[in-house]
Amino acid sequence: MRLAYTANRYGQGNWRRQIWQTDWPDAEHHFLKGISRLTRVAAAEQGRILTPLDQSIYDFPWIYAVEVGYWYLNTQEAARLRDYLLRGGFLMVDDFHGAWEWSSFVASMERVFPDRPIVEIPEEDEAFHVIYDLDHRIQIPSRMYTYTGQTWEKGGITPHWRGIYDDHGRLMVAINFNMDIGDAWEHADWPDYPENMTALAYRFGINYLIYAMTH
Amino acid sequence: MFEFLFNYPRDDYARSELIYTGDWPLWLLVLLITFALAGISWLLYRRRGAVQPPQMLAIWVLQVAMLAVVIWVLQQPTLSTEQLRAGDNAVAFVLDNSESMAYGDAESRLQQAMRSLSSSLAEDSTLDMTVQHYELSDRARSVDSFLESEPSGTETSIAASLTDVLREARFNPLAAIVLSSDGADTSGGLSSAELAEVAGFGVPIHTVAVGRESIPEDIELTDVVLPSKALPGSTITARVSIRHDVAASTRIKVYNGDDLLESLPVELQQDASSTTAWVNIGLAEAGHHHMRFTVDGIPGEQELRNNSRSTLVEVADQEYRILYFEGEPRWEYKFMRRALADDEDLQIASLLRVSPNKFYRQGIESPEQLENGFPATRDELFSYDALIIGSVEAVSLSDEQQEIIHDFVSERGGSLLMLAGPNGLGNGGWGQSHIADVLPVRLPPSTTNSFFRKKAAVVMTPQGADDQMLRLGDTTDANQRSWNALPEIADYQVTGNLKPAAVTLLNAMTEVGQLPLLITQQFGRGHAYVLASGGTWRWQMSMPVEDQSHETFWRQLLRALVASAPTSVSLTASTDAGSTGVSLRSEFRDDAFRPVDDIGVTAVVTHQDGDSWSIDLVPSADEPGVFQADISPTASGTWYFEAVAERNGEPIDVARTSIHYESGQAEYFNFRRDSRALQRLSEATGGRYLEPDELDALPDLLRYSSSGITETDYRPIWDAPAVFLLLLLLKGGEWMLRRRWSTI
Repeated sequence: MRLAYTANRYGQGNWRRQIWQTDWPDAEHHFLKGISRLTRVAAAEQGRILTPLDQSIYDFPWIYAVEVGYWYLNTQEAARLRDYLLRGGFLMVDDFHGAWEWSSFVASMERVFPDRPIVEIPEEDEAFHVIYDLDHRIQIPSRMYTYTGQTWEKGGITPHWRGIYDDHGRLMVAINFNMDIGDAWEHADWPDYPENMTALAYRFGINYLIYAMTH
Repeated sequence: MFEFLFNYPRDDYARSELIYTGDWPLWLLVLLITFALAGISWLLYRRRGAVQPPQMLAIWVLQVAMLAVVIWVLQQPTLSTEQLRAGDNAVAFVLDNSESMAYGDAESRLQQAMRSLSSSLAEDSTLDMTVQHYELSDRARSVDSFLESEPSGTETSIAASLTDVLREARFNPLAAIVLSSDGADTSGGLSSAELAEVAGFGVPIHTVAVGRESIPEDIELTDVVLPSKALPGSTITARVSIRHDVAASTRIKVYNGDDLLESLPVELQQDASSTTAWVNIGLAEAGHHHMRFTVDGIPGEQELRNNSRSTLVEVADQEYRILYFEGEPRWEYKFMRRALADDEDLQIASLLRVSPNKFYRQGIESPEQLENGFPATRDELFSYDALIIGSVEAVSLSDEQQEIIHDFVSERGGSLLMLAGPNGLGNGGWGQSHIADVLPVRLPPSTTNSFFRKKAAVVMTPQGADDQMLRLGDTTDANQRSWNALPEIADYQVTGNLKPAAVTLLNAMTEVGQLPLLITQQFGRGHAYVLASGGTWRWQMSMPVEDQSHETFWRQLLRALVASAPTSVSLTASTDAGSTGVSLRSEFRDDAFRPVDDIGVTAVVTHQDGDSWSIDLVPSADEPGVFQADISPTASGTWYFEAVAERNGEPIDVARTSIHYESGQAEYFNFRRDSRALQRLSEATGGRYLEPDELDALPDLLRYSSSGITETDYRPIWDAPAVFLLLLLLKGGEWMLRRRWSTI
């Protein structure tokens, strides 16, 4: 399920597309097929879109949000997201880069969890091993890589796999910073996009999903 | 009047046999009758013109009747009566002197019994019999008289005591036993076998009942039923039964040692003789807990000692093992595991098929656990107390593995919980598997989809509302409110028809109507459950974080699963209601739960004060691997038992248990007069049940007893006035008819 958030003033989209819609719907379309092919999860054919305040968000314990360097969660939305996560929901965020977008992301995230730190996910965390052993992680670039050969953007050179944990040490929020897993899903059928990057993106997504369904 | 007409009382006729002492040969009688009939018929035939045929027939009947009476008299009818020979017989008077006989108002039951026994023979000087006196409680004791009898017996065993009396009198001419008692037997009542044994002596036992069947001024804590073992932090439910003969208000109180745990008001209804209440008790800490249950006395109540009962509950810090086999990652799996995360007593190891050829293990204790997939041996599977099977096809397990699951329930006594899912229950082909017999439902065939991802509300059945494992609130109303507040489940599955022994605890309110949701049945030594949904996770995601309904549901359900699963080695100590002994039962099985017989078992019995002794347990003739013994505790308090199994002199296993025992309490319970027991005793032995105001009948009952040394008394009845009156009526009637018809 994709989270349709309110963007801050720097992330306003155009009349055709909101920023939370980045990579939609091809990313989900490809990834859901991959889930069905590679796992026993009974995945839906198509993704869904829900806002934080939509009551039916509780019926989907795994949500995905992109370009969260431009999101803005007000107090009510932050409270809803906190409640969702503490009940057992899981949030995967992706496709934001550089110090500025990080600070913007953290500003809203601190409204969700003022008292929970964002930490690097340890190597031994089950999120990196539940199906695939992701010991050798590399930066997954956006499609721009096929034009520029540059894996990073907006100054975000070093990829980070960060997270927020609950009181039982379970990962609630998987934060994929300085990388673009969504693009790797979306362009899985793009001839120039590196196949190994797509494969790795699938593995990250599947590991996060299986982790969320088992922890 | 009867005695005037027939010479003797009606009872004499009832207890006598009619014989004929006339010595006329049969051929002569037949000849006489033939001639008489022929003569009467011929004489009437000659006068056929003078009278009408109906008139002729009437006269013929009267004359034949008179002839029959004359011939009957000529045969000399006589009453033959067996009666005791004077001076040669004995009667045993047995007085119940147990403590329950002390109960009474102005006159105790014992005084009432003594008065009735002493007066019954004193008024009849014609009985020339030796009277033997016995007191009855746990056994019979011979006494010279009842003058010094006191209600001092701490238990009552009517059958054992009467057997004592009968065996002592086996070679004496005992004509009858007269037992005066309230019938309150503390040994568990008179069984059919005991009655047959007593009746086998051939001595009639006449019972004289004393006391009252109804005691409105008394209420009694009849029974308290609760688990003897519990897990730390669990809530157990005690079923408390109160006997009463009147409507009243009282209060059940539960103490743990001296600490009051619960206080529950109870209304005793007028139209019921027993009221049952359920009390929930939270037990947090491990150890032995001395639980005392009391009910407040009602106005005017004299006997308050039967308002209290004690028992021991062992809260064992034991870890139970559950295996969860799941065929697909899904939210039910995640949220069930999360619900159990804080339960240190439940160790849930799961085997989850995450991809077509990969399993993910969680909650394992060692790298080797489940490394080869689902257990393939009895030993491995039987090491778990419960098994959960989720959305996975039956064919994913071999025939051998399915048979092991079957035996896991039926022989090991484990619990099986089957969950719904796209590949679960009927969809997974479990209805055609070796496990189908175990399940409480007849699953639909796999060719028909029975799983629906549609929301459904959940309601408790009456049985579910009474079941502790479904308790989400402290009281019945609070529990109902909690269930009513639960969100809909995410999906449901059609289970098929229920089997006869199935009990439905929850129903799902679906768009196609009400469907069974949680069903259970016992199968062999174990239990099988079906939860026809994989969508209870919505209770967690759709309710506030603080709400614990989802966690409580799963913890209690899984605790119920493991709590009923026996261990391979067990020892239980029990006392029947009112019994004065303790029965020990130990069971030894190997890792595959096969009975172990080639051992000797000794129990070490230890009182809380330190007194200790040993006793050998005897192998059960009916149950392999079971060893038993009955012991008689010497003091009240907590008793600890340790059963040690030895093979070739080497100890191989040990089982422990304990019990709280109160001596001398039995007589205070169930002390209302048991008339039915006394009636059964009299009926079985050929005696008679008597109320105190029927004692006038006792002398004759003794005089004509069927037991003892008897003689036969012959008394003719041909000369009874009724005979001559009958002859007069017959002849007079004929004369009057002839006069009326002018045939004279």
